[in-house]
Amino acid sequence: MDINLFKEQLFTEGAKLGFSDLELYYEKQAGFGCQIFKGEIDDYVSATTIGVSVRGLYDGKMGYAYTEKIDKDSVAFLLENIKENSLLIEDDPEELFDGNATYKDRDFYSTSLSNVTIDKKIQLLRDAEKKIYEYDPRVVQTDYATIQDTMVEKALFNNKGLSLQDRNNFLYVVFSVVVKENDEIKSDFYFKLTKDIDSLNPEEIAKEAVEKSLSHLNGKTYPNKTYPVILKGSAAANLLATFSPSFSAKSVHDNQSRLKGKVDTVIASEVVTLIDNPFLEDGTRSGTFDSEGVPTKELTVVQEGVLKTYFHNLKTAKKDGVESTGHGHKPSYKDSIGVSPSNFYVKPGANSYEELFGTMEEGIIITSLAGLHSGANQISGDFSLAANGYFVKDGKIIGPTNLMTIAGNFFELLKDIEMVGNDLEFSPMDYYGYIGSPSLKIKGLAVTVD
Amino acid sequence: MLNKALIEDVLSAALTTGGDFSEVYVEDRFTNLMKLQSSRLEDSLSGRNFGVGIRIFKGLNSVYAFTNDFSRDGLLQAASAAAQAIQGTASNKNIVLPLEKQTVKPLHPIQLLPNSVDKTRKLAILRHANQVARNYHSSISQATIALSEEEQHVLIANSEGTYVEDTRVRSRFVVNAIASNEHDMQTGFYGPGRLQGFEYIEGLDVDYYAEEAARIAVTMLNADAAPSGKFPVIIDNEFGGVIFHEACGHGLEAAAVAKNNSVFANKVGEKVASDLVTYIDDGTITNEWGSINIDDEGEKARKNVLIENGILKGYLIDKFNARRMNEKSTGSGRRESYKFAPTSRMTNTYIAPGQSTPEEIIANTEYGIYAKYMGGGSVNPATGDYNFAVNEAYLVKNGKVDKPLRGATLIGNGAKTIQKVDMVANNLGHGAGMCGASSGSIPVNVGQPMLRVSEITVGGREAN
Repeated sequence: MDINLFKEQLFTEGAKLGFSDLELYYEKQAGFGCQIFKGEIDDYVSATTIGVSVRGLYDGKMGYAYTEKIDKDSVAFLLENIKENSLLIEDDPEELFDGNATYKDRDFYSTSLSNVTIDKKIQLLRDAEKKIYEYDPRVVQTDYATIQDTMVEKALFNNKGLSLQDRNNFLYVVFSVVVKENDEIKSDFYFKLTKDIDSLNPEEIAKEAVEKSLSHLNGKTYPNKTYPVILKGSAAANLLATFSPSFSAKSVHDNQSRLKGKVDTVIASEVVTLIDNPFLEDGTRSGTFDSEGVPTKELTVVQEGVLKTYFHNLKTAKKDGVESTGHGHKPSYKDSIGVSPSNFYVKPGANSYEELFGTMEEGIIITSLAGLHSGANQISGDFSLAANGYFVKDGKIIGPTNLMTIAGNFFELLKDIEMVGNDLEFSPMDYYGYIGSPSLKIKGLAVTVD
Repeated sequence: MLNKALIEDVLSAALTTGGDFSEVYVEDRFTNLMKLQSSRLEDSLSGRNFGVGIRIFKGLNSVYAFTNDFSRDGLLQAASAAAQAIQGTASNKNIVLPLEKQTVKPLHPIQLLPNSVDKTRKLAILRHANQVARNYHSSISQATIALSEEEQHVLIANSEGTYVEDTRVRSRFVVNAIASNEHDMQTGFYGPGRLQGFEYIEGLDVDYYAEEAARIAVTMLNADAAPSGKFPVIIDNEFGGVIFHEACGHGLEAAAVAKNNSVFANKVGEKVASDLVTYIDDGTITNEWGSINIDDEGEKARKNVLIENGILKGYLIDKFNARRMNEKSTGSGRRESYKFAPTSRMTNTYIAPGQSTPEEIIANTEYGIYAKYMGGGSVNPATGDYNFAVNEAYLVKNGKVDKPLRGATLIGNGAKTIQKVDMVANNLGHGAGMCGASSGSIPVNVGQPMLRVSEITVGGREAN
């Protein structure tokens, strides 16, 4: 069924049932993904899916429901469930946004990316995989050699006349390489997200993926103690992503954030500035409106260590007597309106990664973290995470360590950041938003080496 | 869900370019989520997931397409788009065998479908749990109680003549409690679930789970930081089994084994674990959270012994990886939804009970860590390196449980850790969890009796 016809039926039937306000959120995703293994296409996925969710105001209370089946039956299913849910909800009343606002005129959809042929994408995989095997005899095989492109279209309509549309597309590759020497097996990966497939060079991919993997061979153990630590960009980004819910006003109101009551106070070292920019060219969360229809805008969340604002949606903003910051996002049409960042990152500093560890007498570089979904307490900020990395002595990388854990507290770590690198990287883990950081030099973290 | 003639046409259209196997997976799933937070119902979400996945194999090539356009044209278009990825020509081998509906014998009785029960009845249970958690102690500052339910209908048909339908109903009750003082916040969690309807929730000992979640949060608020170093570690039953889920289970999945990306590849018949370890994956246990009637490729659920008295017996195998391995499916092909091609996954995986008693294990440990409740973890299957968090830990001193510890993370290598299991108790228990991998997030049980590992690296904040 056509979405416009669906919308009309929904609004007409809804009015008959006594709904005063109705809003339809529509999301379409189309994607292509491919994985090769030793030259064979091992996995090939093409997909187009649609999902819609509806919010409705019944007797002054808001209810939600969603469906992936766009047909007449679903209109009845949605309205019936919204009504039942609205009668139960005890939360503060929600309002629909009237759309009386100015929206940035931006399109994050790259036509040239959408014109890249499937053959060209598969050829890139083949070329890079071949270069990986040729690069070093210690390469056993790839764990992943994958390309994925995604197009997302979002639209928001209500029965008061609001009608908004956004679209975005991007492509990413992941090459994870397994290397072996004697009996030791190690792996690491190359990840890049872009709108320009020509920026992906098979030789560079192979060089980076294989050298990163090889760099973990012949790990050694070192004494367990508190070391100065450098978190490489992607590791720092993963850590920031894990704790990003603390910056949401919703978490603050629910007593689930240690940043409660900290606006206009120092929460981080003065070298730290945190920015949320919904207009980044290559941002997966770039868009001109949030899931409530509020225009998005660039926001400085932390300026030189001082917390300037939380992320807000309409409801949290009303409670705090401020304006929504345009962060009323929902992770997908299946979720209710939450509060989350768009493209959120630590503002890069002046020093290179090499300059960061060049200043260390003795310390540890962390190249990757694991167990973020389990070893980090999002509320208290405590973390104890598995990590890979190198030992540094007199400003030089001595070599890899065995598997480590690093333990600390995110909110203390923010204050212990001594230097910020210039090598901004974004995390592939994007459940909470598209989140990035340059390499960070931390005063000290407890390190345990296996 | 779709008529037989249309399914046959889609299966045939998928084979027009030389594929040797095609499959259609239709899913219609109703979900409900109710969440009580700050003592009020903040979320009540209902939804319907619906879509079709089409899969084609040609030798070791696999192609998958999915859509929620269920019109005849939409499905045939998706099938031929997928077929385009296979560059060959159809021959007499590319045929679809006639479909004849097979009846699935349900192993797991369901009484009350989630949508047949009024939501106010559910809300009353959420409210009760909230009261119990908040009344536990004055330091409890927040409680989140959630009920998630789903009713999933699937139809699976393939060119080998498989044509089955199944209904899966799952209910899960989750309690999260936060305890806080002026300078700290700690959390406690318990989330029991089963492949069962609302009768499970109504019969649940809600007071016990709400109190346990609150007790963990309060205990951790007053706990010292865990020490760092190598210690004997005692892991309690139920969700404690997550360590072997990460350390061994993933490495026994065909997805890793077929490509030699596992330390357990090519080791059937060899000793890979301590003699005390028997490791089993069993999708047939009545109404358990990870149980199934059939897997997502239409194969019957079964009990697979993976490791017996330390000897590797077999793997968890799906249809595609079975080709690479020259083996047969073990009923282990699972997926989150039609948006994922299935691959080999676990169901209810557990370490079989041993001879010791829990009391003996504690009494025989001079100095070590007792992990009462485990959090989640992860593993790199290629290297076997794992990590996981302990939600509630204690120091063990001179054969007695001593002070509580927080922030303990265990790291190590799976293949080495299972060789170091030196005591296994007789109190097998299972715990519900969600497991994420390439075919999405699926419900699984992990399980074990209390057991001891002679040495694991513990990473805490007390570096010394």
